[in-house]
Amino acid sequence: MTDVQINLAAELARIGEDYAQRVRGELAELTQLAARLESEVDVRPFLERLHPRLHRIAGSGGSFGFKTLSKAARDLEVEANGWLSQDAVTLDLAQRRRFAKEVAALANRLTQREAAPTQAVAQAPSAKTTVSGNGGKVAVWLVEDEIPLGEHIVHLLGQFGYQPRLYTRFDAVAAAVQDECPDCLVMDPRFTEEDLGAVEALMASPSFQALNCPVIFVSASGDFPSRMRAARLGADGFMLKPLDIPRLVDRIGRILEERHAAPYRILVVDDDLDLAEHLRLVLSADGMDVEVLSEPEQVIEAVATFHPELVLMDMHMPDYSGPELATVIRHHDDLLGLPIVYLSAEQDRKKQIQALRSGADDFLTKPISDAELVAAVRVRAARFRQLANLMTKDSLTGLLKHAHIKEGIVRELARAQRTDHPLAVAMLDIDHFKQVNDSYGHAVGDRVIMALAHLLKQRLRKSDGIGRYGGEEFVVILPDCNLQVAQSVLEDIRARFEVLPFLHNDHEFRCTLSAGIASTLEYPDADDGQLLIAADQALYAAKHAGRNRVHVSQSM
Amino acid sequence: MSELQRVLCVEDEPDIQTVAKIALEAVGGFTVKICSSGEEALAAAEDFDPDMILLDVMMPGMDGPSTLAALRQRPALAQTPVVFMTAKVQPQEVAQFKSLGALDVIPKPFEPMQLANQVRALWDESYD
Repeated sequence: MTDVQINLAAELARIGEDYAQRVRGELAELTQLAARLESEVDVRPFLERLHPRLHRIAGSGGSFGFKTLSKAARDLEVEANGWLSQDAVTLDLAQRRRFAKEVAALANRLTQREAAPTQAVAQAPSAKTTVSGNGGKVAVWLVEDEIPLGEHIVHLLGQFGYQPRLYTRFDAVAAAVQDECPDCLVMDPRFTEEDLGAVEALMASPSFQALNCPVIFVSASGDFPSRMRAARLGADGFMLKPLDIPRLVDRIGRILEERHAAPYRILVVDDDLDLAEHLRLVLSADGMDVEVLSEPEQVIEAVATFHPELVLMDMHMPDYSGPELATVIRHHDDLLGLPIVYLSAEQDRKKQIQALRSGADDFLTKPISDAELVAAVRVRAARFRQLANLMTKDSLTGLLKHAHIKEGIVRELARAQRTDHPLAVAMLDIDHFKQVNDSYGHAVGDRVIMALAHLLKQRLRKSDGIGRYGGEEFVVILPDCNLQVAQSVLEDIRARFEVLPFLHNDHEFRCTLSAGIASTLEYPDADDGQLLIAADQALYAAKHAGRNRVHVSQSM
Repeated sequence: MSELQRVLCVEDEPDIQTVAKIALEAVGGFTVKICSSGEEALAAAEDFDPDMILLDVMMPGMDGPSTLAALRQRPALAQTPVVFMTAKVQPQEVAQFKSLGALDVIPKPFEPMQLANQVRALWDESYD
């Protein structure tokens, strides 16, 4: 078995334990309910309550390894159903007693757990599919009838780490979308060979509509009718030819970022574990990432490691109240903006307002429908994310700002020391950037910076940190990464950047970059500042050696 | 034939939600959305755009068959294969569920390690 399968088996075993605990309580209630059958004249209401609950246990037990429990509950369910289908339920005392006894006996079946489901694991198929079906690469399809131009664009999109594919006819795309789905479609809506309505036909077809795939038009003409046509067809973007590839990549990046935003992170603080588990299920069913904290003492640690975008907490917990806990959170300057929402059965409006005074943002009153809860949490987490992005991210590149990338190094260095994994930090700088700005203007310079930012985002892992350190200077944090890997990753980025064409008034030019890397393998005792200095020295050495190269810092 | 990727699972019981999510996501490699009720499924299904829908039969509020009927009213979901999941699996009941437009019925309790296989097999069958 692979590690993943062992983990799965362990996870399933753990869920099975939780299930057994909950069902034990449920069975105790059912036993009491069934016992009433003996004394009541009208047993129908009791059978009506018992039936669905037996049905649930019949349907669930086996999935957690309790097959005999499922079977026994199923037999009782069928029997109860048979009685309920009669017009008048007539049961003699012996029948009632036997039924009640058998309900009571269900609890014994909980000790009969079949073999852990690990054997089946070995035969289970491995995960077959990924989000975009291409090993996680983003599939961009280009429709362009000028083949050399199309091949050139496809090559450049590949440099940015996309999985591009070229089509020369709309009907070919229409056929392809029957079986496959690109993550983004880029096309020129005016072809010489196909009919004028070919684009309309493609985009109106049900199979294309079903894809819900973003479309970017590239057109030789930017006049109003062309743009209106694109808008009416629902295009997500409109760009002019000759195509500025970094700008196109930026557009694709932004569209996909909006569509595949990371799930909201919600921290639930509640001592009632069943309720907390319910909240977790409801919110995670809506795609949120939820962590449950049952020990309020650890709230600051939990916030520091999980980085929630909203804290949902109970008002009344045994040792600390919600407002007290909110105050503790608000005493941390960096947590002043974190939304805190109470979830409580407190109906007294005065007490609610009092609670809000301690720095919480809102008050949700139990009972609350799942839909209401999800909406309330989602809208606040979204607003927080917007604000946090404005504060921590560079507006041009969407990368971390100077101060935040430095925090990232501190955090990752601590983690590296804890886990004994190597950490690499790299500094990158665009060569002769001042000349770009001077020759072509700042707007063009910005596009060069954005292109490098996209290249970094595309080529680096999700766990890597990327920041814009200064004007044309970038910092990359590579956790759990040895020197060789760090060097080859940056060398790959350097090589891809070097061949990117930039456009200014139909004049094409290229840029290069230099990079310096420092690793904890070479500097085991360095702090974050020293590591950054070492990377900066290596960058300086790379510049000195002639630029357009990656240097590794060697300790003396 | 396209590949089965997005599975919407409608199930009211939290325990089963958890185990189904693991079975379909971690074992099957699908993209999974769980809805806790028929109403929630109706609100979320079009956005999620599932390749296949797993539907619990007995749920409070809208039950499985009425959820199926409502889903079929939506043009985008009219053709999406739907599979019922239920502990009731008498042959005549299976026939009745199929007559409602369901592809098939997966009996409950399901085996977590096999669920993804069952689902994938039904999917393949639906395209034969």
